[in-house]
Amino acid sequence: MVSSLEKSEINLHNKANFLARQARLASAVFIQYSQAQVDKIVKAMTIAAIESAQLLAQKAYSETRMGVVEDKILKNLVASEFLYNQVKDKPTVGEINILVDENIVEIAEPLGVILALTPVTNPTSTVIFKSIACAKTRNSIIFSPHLMAADSSNLAAKILYDAAIANGAPKGFISWIEKSPRLRRQTEILMTHSDIDLIFATGGTQMVKAAHSSGKPALGVGSGNTPVYIHKSADIKPTVNDIIISKTFDNGTECPSEQTLIIDVEIAPAIIAEFKHLGCYICQDNEIEMLANIVVDSRSRSMNYKLVGQSAVFIANQAGFNVPENTKILLCELKGNIQQHKLIVEKLMPVLGYVTVDNLNNGINRALDVNYAGGTGHTSGIFAKDEQVIKLFTNSINAGRIIVNSPTSIGGLGGMYNNLNTTLSFGCGTGGGNITTDNVGIKNLLNIKRQPQRKNFSVSFKTTKQIYSNPGSLSYLKELAIKNPFIISSHNAMKRGFINQVIEKLPPLVLPTIFAEINNEPDWSCVEKALAKIKQANCDSIIAIGGGSVIDLAKIVRLFYDHPNLNLSEIAISFLDFRHRMCEFPEALTTKLIAIPTTSGTGSEVTPFAVLKDNSKHLKLSLIDETLLPDVAIIDANLTLSLPQNITKDTAFDALTHSLEALVSTFSSDYTDGLALEAMRLIIEALPKVLIEPTNIIYRHKLHNAATLAGMAIGNASVGLNHAMAHSFGAVFDIPHGLANSVFLLTTLAYNSQIPNKFMAQSNYPQWIADLKYVRAFEYLGLYPELKISVDYTNESFETRQKLILALRQKIYDFARVCNQPLSIEELGIAFADYEKHIPSLVQATFMDMSLRTNPGYPFMKDIYNLYIDAYPKRKRP
Amino acid sequence: MTQTPEKVISLPSILDKPVNDIEKYLVNNDCNLLLDFINCNFITVDGIEWLEEILVRANSKSIKIMFANIQPDIYKVFKISRIEVILKVCGATQNFAPFC
Repeated sequence: MVSSLEKSEINLHNKANFLARQARLASAVFIQYSQAQVDKIVKAMTIAAIESAQLLAQKAYSETRMGVVEDKILKNLVASEFLYNQVKDKPTVGEINILVDENIVEIAEPLGVILALTPVTNPTSTVIFKSIACAKTRNSIIFSPHLMAADSSNLAAKILYDAAIANGAPKGFISWIEKSPRLRRQTEILMTHSDIDLIFATGGTQMVKAAHSSGKPALGVGSGNTPVYIHKSADIKPTVNDIIISKTFDNGTECPSEQTLIIDVEIAPAIIAEFKHLGCYICQDNEIEMLANIVVDSRSRSMNYKLVGQSAVFIANQAGFNVPENTKILLCELKGNIQQHKLIVEKLMPVLGYVTVDNLNNGINRALDVNYAGGTGHTSGIFAKDEQVIKLFTNSINAGRIIVNSPTSIGGLGGMYNNLNTTLSFGCGTGGGNITTDNVGIKNLLNIKRQPQRKNFSVSFKTTKQIYSNPGSLSYLKELAIKNPFIISSHNAMKRGFINQVIEKLPPLVLPTIFAEINNEPDWSCVEKALAKIKQANCDSIIAIGGGSVIDLAKIVRLFYDHPNLNLSEIAISFLDFRHRMCEFPEALTTKLIAIPTTSGTGSEVTPFAVLKDNSKHLKLSLIDETLLPDVAIIDANLTLSLPQNITKDTAFDALTHSLEALVSTFSSDYTDGLALEAMRLIIEALPKVLIEPTNIIYRHKLHNAATLAGMAIGNASVGLNHAMAHSFGAVFDIPHGLANSVFLLTTLAYNSQIPNKFMAQSNYPQWIADLKYVRAFEYLGLYPELKISVDYTNESFETRQKLILALRQKIYDFARVCNQPLSIEELGIAFADYEKHIPSLVQATFMDMSLRTNPGYPFMKDIYNLYIDAYPKRKRP
Repeated sequence: MTQTPEKVISLPSILDKPVNDIEKYLVNNDCNLLLDFINCNFITVDGIEWLEEILVRANSKSIKIMFANIQPDIYKVFKISRIEVILKVCGATQNFAPFC
């Protein structure tokens, strides 16, 4: 047997299912409507609402006995006419916005079926507002009216629905729950119904809480408690006038309306006098006590809902005292600790608290007391002429709407006093348990789909502006327009006589200052020493002559000489995106930097990189920015003639690694490819000859040029995995950089020529082509005759490409063997046990090295571990 | 019963009311139907409800109705409407509501 209660419950579920189904079908059909169809429906609904504004206001008042009919008419007009004017030209169908700078298109999609809870205080205007907003956004809406206002709310819904249907709206897109004692229960059923997509709750705290607890997405509103600070700079008469307009609007039923005034003591008497003059009643202490007893419910410590929207005269009578007929507002001074005063709460009626304050800080603090007594996130107001005061108040107060020099209730509604979205639903952010602080409107009733266009970066190529390349080009120094250069060099360069050569080539009367205190790997203390000296000499330029360390140091010294307030730790930050680095370098440097390399390897004379040892952390700091590029590079191979064989080899292998890594870098381009390939060719041609005949200037010149070309390539394409491993390994085992590079070269070449386990995510690198690039190197180096086959690299199979890459690897192997260059860790004489124990930390350091960011494959840490293992044993010919 | 439709009926561009041909066919025949949506680019609530109704009726007579050439706009309407019998004809088996 089914009990009558169960029957009633089944019946409620059936009704809920019916409402939800028809709303769902309507929302499905609505998706097909064009903007023009939607706008026609919205206009018809607006006209119907305007024509029915008076009828609906009267109906609402007679049903609820709250507020003022004339003001309810105005609210209905705001909810229709004002809303229409704000939304009529706004696109809500299809593409609604094109963000040109961001290259993003925004497309509107309806939310679906909305369950709308409506309040007793604004029963018709809220329905008008939500119906029009839903039509504009192609959503279906089911109204759950407040039980005490259901007839008027549902009448408003029907009037608008009829107008919409007559203009082509989908059947059932507006519906409502009929008035019944089970209305609340039916609402609860719908709140968790599978066909409801969103709950749009405007109303009492309990209903809003229930909406948020339903598990559905919900647009709720919070309770208000609007503090209004009247600063001494405010105009007294307009201020009081605005507050009276606002607080008496619909007898105070608007939740953004003023609740407590905080008045600067200097103007308090005049303000109160003006209120009195305009028909407000200033309550005596005993009357305030009487009012507090009936306005505030002693158990809940919140307002007495029976007095919501009642007149001042009625409320005073209920409290037990009489006020003059037509009294507009009952003003109550909240003496003592305002936070403990009963009347600090929200009072949706013409009862207004006030306190006086003796300074700005107290004024804002008392406003915060009211704000945090149940009104966080909602609305606040300030009257002041002083912009600074307004700013301070705005920054401090926790309110979604901060209404300045205007009425908070009608101001909060938006459209009349300001350009806020017209709304009857005030988002209060997390302060009010909501997801938004918006004046909730059409924007909140759309799912915005965003279609970003793929970024197309323009490839830039930057390098040192002036490059002088030929044996003897050091003589260019004579043409420099400098007076007192700072010559930076190393002990070794001093011994090799380079500094004297530079001084000899300088123009007459130039007085150089010399700093030749650089060891192998300079650290910050070295920079400081150099800075002290250059500042003392007040030099106008820097000439760096030496290897990569010397030129790197010179770049850093120039940077800090020109910008002494820079912080090294802030500009030596690892980053992921080479184009949008988080380190901010100065835009320009004034001190000229002339870089003269004496080794053929790093290419520092044409790169925007500088490396500095951090002794405290046992790591190397990398600085990267185009600002670091020298102004002039002099590539004079005469300076390399006396370079020892081991340094010649190591630095040449550094340059060879640069060319191989730049070629397959995810930042590579046609510009860098050409440089990398030619650098590679020159090195392979010249190095063996230089090793046999170190003073052969022709091959020294080719090798020197190769290093600079490879430097230009990495300066724009960066390096990759090999450098990341070499940096880590070299730092731990104190191995020269070029030598460290060479021992991983065949390991990383083999790894990068295979399809990666994980591709490097780079928006400018549309596909993985590392193997094709290696094939290009194979071709450019002219290795076909050795292979005795002919292949068009653009068409051949992956397997064929692998054969060609194997030939390239063999070529590198043979080349290294000819040069007697180690190709593995074991060949460096490092014991495996000692090496192995460091591998975990090497893997970590490698993974965090910036060089890895442009490698064509993104290795997992286990891959890097295996690569370290692979690089150990004596290398055999691939 | 075979899966092959014995009758192909083209639906109108706006499906907002019953299609008489189909009504008659359902009354007088018991073989499969293929509804061709090639021309159908708008469907109303009444249209959806009618589709649902004829599918239920066809099921009760063991007539199989199939859809062809559904345009994405119409297919999306079916997806949003979550009408089980319609989505089944479109190939769905369960989970007619979106889930995450």
